[in-house]
This record gives sequence, C-alpha cells and structure tokens, in this order.
Amino acid sequence: MPTPFIMPKMDMDQEYVTITNWLKKEGEWINKGEPVIEVETDKIASEIEAPESGILAGILYHANEEAPVTKVVAYILKEGETLESAPSSDQGKTPVAQTPSQDLNQAETSKQDVSATPLAKKVSADLGVPLDQVTPSGSKVTRRDVEAFADNMKEVVTPRVCVPATPAARSLAAQRGVSLEDVVGSGPRGRVQAKDVPMKAAVSEPVAPEPVAATIPLVGKRKRIAERLTASYQSTPHIYLTVEVDMSAAESARKRINQMADKKGQPTVSMTAFLAKIVAWALTRHPKLNASLQTDRIELLEAINIGIATAIDDGLIVPVIHGIDKLGLREISECLGYLTRQARNGALTAAEVAEGTFTISNLGMYGISSFTAIINPPQSAILAVGGLVRKPVVIDENDTIAVRPMMNMTLGADHRVVDGADAAAFLADLVKALEAPEFILY
Amino acid sequence: MPEITYREAVRDAMVEEMRRDETVFLLGEDIGTYGGAFGVSAGMLAEFGPERVRETPISELGIVGAAAGAAMVGMKPIAEIMFMDFILLALEPLMNQAAKARYMFGGKATVPMVVRMPGGSGTGAAAQHSQSLESILMHIPGIKVVAPSTPYDAKGLLISAIRDRNPVCFVEHKLLYKVKGEVPTGEYTIPLGVADIKHAGTDITVVTSGIMVQKSLAVAQKLSQEGISVEVVDLRTLRPLDTKTIIASVKKTGKLLVVHEAVKTGGWAGEIMAVVSESEAFDHLDAPMRRLAGKDVPIPYNRFLEAAAVPQENDIEAEIRAMVANKY
Repeated sequence: MPTPFIMPKMDMDQEYVTITNWLKKEGEWINKGEPVIEVETDKIASEIEAPESGILAGILYHANEEAPVTKVVAYILKEGETLESAPSSDQGKTPVAQTPSQDLNQAETSKQDVSATPLAKKVSADLGVPLDQVTPSGSKVTRRDVEAFADNMKEVVTPRVCVPATPAARSLAAQRGVSLEDVVGSGPRGRVQAKDVPMKAAVSEPVAPEPVAATIPLVGKRKRIAERLTASYQSTPHIYLTVEVDMSAAESARKRINQMADKKGQPTVSMTAFLAKIVAWALTRHPKLNASLQTDRIELLEAINIGIATAIDDGLIVPVIHGIDKLGLREISECLGYLTRQARNGALTAAEVAEGTFTISNLGMYGISSFTAIINPPQSAILAVGGLVRKPVVIDENDTIAVRPMMNMTLGADHRVVDGADAAAFLADLVKALEAPEFILY
Repeated sequence: MPEITYREAVRDAMVEEMRRDETVFLLGEDIGTYGGAFGVSAGMLAEFGPERVRETPISELGIVGAAAGAAMVGMKPIAEIMFMDFILLALEPLMNQAAKARYMFGGKATVPMVVRMPGGSGTGAAAQHSQSLESILMHIPGIKVVAPSTPYDAKGLLISAIRDRNPVCFVEHKLLYKVKGEVPTGEYTIPLGVADIKHAGTDITVVTSGIMVQKSLAVAQKLSQEGISVEVVDLRTLRPLDTKTIIASVKKTGKLLVVHEAVKTGGWAGEIMAVVSESEAFDHLDAPMRRLAGKDVPIPYNRFLEAAAVPQENDIEAEIRAMVANKY
C-alpha cells in the first residue's frame, strides 16, 4: 500500500498551511528526511521532509494552495506500487503508525493503530483525551504525552470568558460603569487592580490612581452632603429655638449607669448616646419633627433614624443610628461607639450614613455653649447641642440660687413643616425628660 | 503605670480574683511549692494555702475533669495544664463534658472554669512541648478560646475569663512570659470576643494573635518608616471571633494577611479568610487573601529548624511587602 504523505500540524490551533512550493515533482524519487514541500503558516515558513523513501505521487494540493493539516497531501510509492492501491484522500486522516517516523512525529495517528502504553490508555480515558490526537514523544504514546496534551487542550479550549480582576476592581468597575475589558491590569498576569479602574467609562487613558477602595463612596456621600446643605441653607426657611436645660439629673443617671457598666466590664455610655435616647423618645411624641418634606406633601416617618454629626479629619460625617427608638441605651451607646470609630477610620458604609430622619450635632466637647445648625434635607429639624457649663441658676420659687451643670440646645426646624409651637412643645418635652429622665418610662 | 511581665500580669489577675472571690481556686501539676513549670503561680501557695492552690497528680484528664465538676457545683476553678500539648489528654472532660453541660442541662448547670495552658515553640522543647493547638479548641461550641499578646491584655482578659460563666481555654505563649508592658494595678477587665487594633494602617490588614502580634507589630513599625501602612488586628479572643472588626479592617485596606504559629493546614487562618469571603468585605478585596502559618511539620528540636518551622519577623515582612506590591 502506498505511504500517505501527511501534512504535519505545527501549532495546536492550526488548521491549514499554505504550500508555497513543491521541491520535488510527481514521479521523482525522494529520500526519507529530504525536504519535499515548502510551507508557510501565519507564524513561520518551514520545510516538510519526506516521511519515507519512494516515488512522489498523487499530489492533492499544489503550490499556493491551502492544505489541511493532518491530512494526506500526496503519496509515496514503493517500487511496483500504484496510486490505485492508495486509500481515498477524503477519508481524512490516514495511518502512518505502521511506519513510525521521527520526521513526522507531529502527525497524528488513527485510533485503531495507536501505539500507546497501557497507562497512557487509562489516563487518556480518565482525562477524556482522544488518544488518536496525541503526539507521541517517542515510539509510543506515554502517560506524559497524554497529560501534556490535556494541559494544552485546556489552554486552547477554555475560552477567556472573563478578565482577571480583584473583587474590589470588579465592584468599582460596576459602580463606575466601566467595562473591565477596556482596562489594562497592572497586577500579576494582567489582573485588574482597584487602582486600574478609571473614574469614568469615557476616560480612555488610565486615570490617576485613587487607591483606597473603601473611602470612595464616602467621598461621594460627603460631597453630596455638602451640596445638599448648601441647597438647604439657601432654600429652607429655618427657625431657631434655644432652651437651657439643667443636666444634673441626666448626669447623675448616666453616672449610675456607667458605674454598673464598669462593674460588668462594659463600655461606658456617652452624653451623646444618653441625649440621643431621650431625643428618640421625644420624637415619638412629636412626629412633625421626624418628617420629610416632599414637593406636594409632608411625610411623617415611621422609622426614627437619628444621625449624629461627627467630626473627622477631613470634615464632617453623619453616621445614622437606625430605628433608635427600638434600642436600649446600651445598644445605642455601642452602636454610636462603633459608628464613631468607623467614621474616624474613614470606613463607614453608604448604608451607615443613609436614611437619617433627624440630626443631632454636639459641639459641647469643644467648649461651644450654643450654636445653630443647618437642616440636613429632606429632614425637617436638627438639634445643636452645646457643652455643659456649671453656673449659678435660680432653682425654685424662693429665688434660691445653686450651681448646676447647664446645657444649651438650639433646635433648627423647617418652618414649612414645623410651626413655632410644634418646635417649642418638642423642646419642652426634651427638657422635661433630661431634667427627670424617669419621664421616658411613663 | 508600672511595667510588669506577662507572667506577673497573669499571676496578678489570679491573685486579685482569689482575694475578691473565695470560690476561685487553682489546681494543676507542680503549681504550689514549685510555683508552676513557668513560675506563674510562684508565691501563691504561701498566700492562699493548699486548699486553694491544689497540687494534683500527673493526670490532665483528672485535672480538667475535677475542674469541670467543681465549676458545676459553684466553684470557679483555674486549671493549669503544664504544656498546651497535654490538653489532648483532657479533651474528653473539656470538649464532651464542660463544653456541653450548659446546653444539655438547659442552662441549669454552668461551667465557669478557666484552663490555662502555655503553648507555642521557641524554647527548644521539641515536638511534644511546643505546639499551638488553638484551632482544635476553636472547633468546639461551648468553650471560649483566649490568647492574649501583651501583659495588659493578659490580666484584663484573664479576669474576664475567670468571671465568665463558660469554660475558657486561656492560651499563654511561653515566649511572652518574660515580655514586659504597662499594666495598671488593681482591677480592670477586657471583654472577651473583642479584637484590638494594635497598629492602625491603610495598606494591608494583618489579623493575628499571641506571639505573632508582637512580631507583626515590629514589622509594622519598621515598614511605617517606608510609608507602608500596616493595620495589625490582635484578635485576643479566638472564639468567639470579633468578625466585625476583621471585616471593617479588610474593607478599609482591601488586603488580608493572616499570621499564626499553628500549622497551616486546618489552622484558623482559613476561618478568618472564610469570614471575610462571606462578608461584604469580599467586594473590597484587591488581592488574594494570604496565610502565613507554621509549616506542616512537628516542631523540630534543632533550634534553627525550630525557628524555620514558624513565621518569623522577616517572613512577615517579606509577605507584607509582596502583597502591598501586588506580587500575588
């Protein structure tokens, strides 16, 4: 039977080569190992050597034609053989295994004639590797050949379905509407890092890095607060009411609570937490102060979420204690402690500063005795709290004078929602409960 | 504030609690006349007498079993296991009895006991006296696991552990005993289950505990001079874990390295990473989370090999540098 001259495969993903020249003509004698065909792939130009000695015959693909790899392109006849005995070329792959040739070791062998070690056969079955496509590195297909083939197969077959990127880069890209495919990754193996994600999709070059992922939403939030406060200052008719409250009862109640907390090894309760608890109670009784002004209506809100204005290194942030009226003093204190730490660390989440319904701003620790604050829309009121000052006050109807820790509070309210009398009634309740905290139990 | 050693801080906590509460007592091997294998209870026999500083036979099963029994009838025992390695002999009373009693009796029985145990390598004591077995203890619901890194934490946490209504395994690293630090005289407590940010930073979070806190802090201080900002989170309590602090820190830095001396396979670093992976911090990760842990070998006797078997400062430094430079 004539020996088929098979076009070897030089690359894993190669399907065709272009035959640039036949160095031998049909009917010429060729020696095994002698260059017979000049070919070109999209990568290289190369010579194909004769797999066997004999007479070149039955050329199927001529110069400047594309020939499929692993297919027969011609035959080599031994003395006395004719082309008629050759298998039809459109049968596809034609065996060469019975004449194993180093020169053609990239050609493939067909199933029935695969020469493989038993281990290679088992491994190929396990890995789902078609044994007839494996190129033996020696005389037989070995386990190593099969495994190498499987590895290659993975590399080639698995499509690159996604761009390698860190989770932070992915969430940033989603946030900014940037397609990761357009981003050049600076990480290992081209992985996209958070800093590689440009600010806006429109920007084509990489933008100056903004490395700390966690602070990005905060910056946006902070910016929005600034814009909204400006709008509020310009468009909301603020009214301000100031009261002075005797804090001796509140202070001694807090002290007793803290002594107990100390004994239990729990963190102490701050003045702000104590105040927030009382304010929450007062808000349940005065829903107009816990309202939201919309274009055509005033919404009295069910949830009481008090924001606590907190100073941080680069400005101000207002973390929110959600559902504060449902929380005990200890929980409020813990929550506030956590939020304050997060704020100072610049680690607040968007949710932790969202949906406030009322704001408390306390500048007492700076020695401020009294100040006014701007309402944070769409809220309808804000309470500005000054510091405790011990000073002489008249404490009864006999004009007795005593030294008491006094504190000023100024309520800023949106006059479109809250009337002066509403605000005054709210403050009166607040003063009552701070001067006698047991009222809130009633 | 006076500076005292970690050993003295542990002793102070026990002495102060024994003076305050007569149900607190000590039991263990050689803890009386000899003062304990590491001298932690030195002098306590003289003050409290043999009724309250009880020498036991060499039976860890007996020690922890007796402690659990005493705790169930109203005492607050502090059991000392000479080396953490020997706790393996007492896992039955610890894990099957002490850990379960409060649950199985519907809260009618509590087991307020502390089992103190020196762990860790670095003393040339070889494979059976050098292990870090925290991960094994952490796997059992019903017991708490505490591992202080400083004298201050040791005292505050031990007082909390003694007052806790649950069995607490209190892991003291042998190399920390001689470490000095500021400790207030008199009573103070540190709540169990609350981690401590020992060094704040923004580039990478290192979650660690015990001796590795000291090593990580040294690295953090060194690297801060080069502008690499490392946040060192000292867990202090390994169970229950303060997941909030871990998550918040990783959200801030975007990178997590967990360092522990215990061997890597099955070690608690995996738990920390799982916590982060399951949390909202996942979306803030900007590099693969990494572990630096003991090699998967028994601790060698040879001192060079012993040092090579657990993370050292230069290992931590190299790992942090690589992670900060996005090498992984």
